[in-house]
Amino acid sequence: MDASDIALLDTGPVVASDALTDLIGWTLKPQGLCKDDECVLVPDRSVVETDDGVDLRGIAALLDRPVAVDDATGLVAIGTSRGPRRDAQQNQQAPDFRLPDLDGTWHALSDHRSKKKLLVAFSSW
Amino acid sequence: MAIDEAVDTIKNYIDHDTDGISYPVLIDADHVVTELYAISNVPTVILIDEDDRIVQPNWNAYATNTFTDFHGIDSGQQLDAIKRWVVDGDTMMDASQASGEVYDMTDEEERGRLHFRIANHLRTAGDEAGAERNYDLACELAPHDWTIRRGSMPLRGGDPFGAEFFELVTEYNEAGRPYHGVNHSGQA
Repeated sequence: MDASDIALLDTGPVVASDALTDLIGWTLKPQGLCKDDECVLVPDRSVVETDDGVDLRGIAALLDRPVAVDDATGLVAIGTSRGPRRDAQQNQQAPDFRLPDLDGTWHALSDHRSKKKLLVAFSSW
Repeated sequence: MAIDEAVDTIKNYIDHDTDGISYPVLIDADHVVTELYAISNVPTVILIDEDDRIVQPNWNAYATNTFTDFHGIDSGQQLDAIKRWVVDGDTMMDASQASGEVYDMTDEEERGRLHFRIANHLRTAGDEAGAERNYDLACELAPHDWTIRRGSMPLRGGDPFGAEFFELVTEYNEAGRPYHGVNHSGQA
């Protein structure tokens, strides 16, 4: 799982069940919420399945990711997974990530395995 | 890694003087890594070893003394400490000290970052009222997160070096200068 995955959807919080895979890459199956070979158990389906469709807020909770909704526009933002973030804090395990450089070339932390890395966050402000 | 939304903003800021720079200069436009590593202010320095272990978690360290009059930190000591790690492998704290040095974001801080992301999207789409609504909410939810409070200033037409910056500093000091990371000394 790429811990850097985020989602910004304009669907409103409740979506059609068959739209879920295209929207966030996860699919609700009988055995749980699945992506590739990984499945998350859904102990209480009513948290995600409503009469009108699948509630993204319940989906986000199952994936242990924060979620925010702008009611006026129907924009739904799903954040990064809490697991890798907390692993960093408690176990010092650096989560992998990919970002572009100023020329648009993508770089991953894992490109530099077996080297010491200095990550310096700066800004124009 | 620049916590900025536009490549041009950063290129202008560094005068695009990248001659002789051999390391990657990344841009975290969606604040994804900023969220993943719970980075709440800049500069934040993180030292990661050969096995991808964080040996020095979020550290408010400076490379120069440009703003030492303001924050009182001498960059020389910090640079020396980094050098000692690179050359001799000396870390500033051990694993048990590093664990728990970065306290996690609250639910409000998490949602603040998401509303900031929504605000940026609306601003780019031309919905200024929607953007303002979400920047306001983000700032309300995470008032001590500089990536939101100060990061939003230039995006909203404000001055991150002006009056509202100094208001933020006062508010931040009164709140006890909360920071998801280690203090300037680098020690636990």
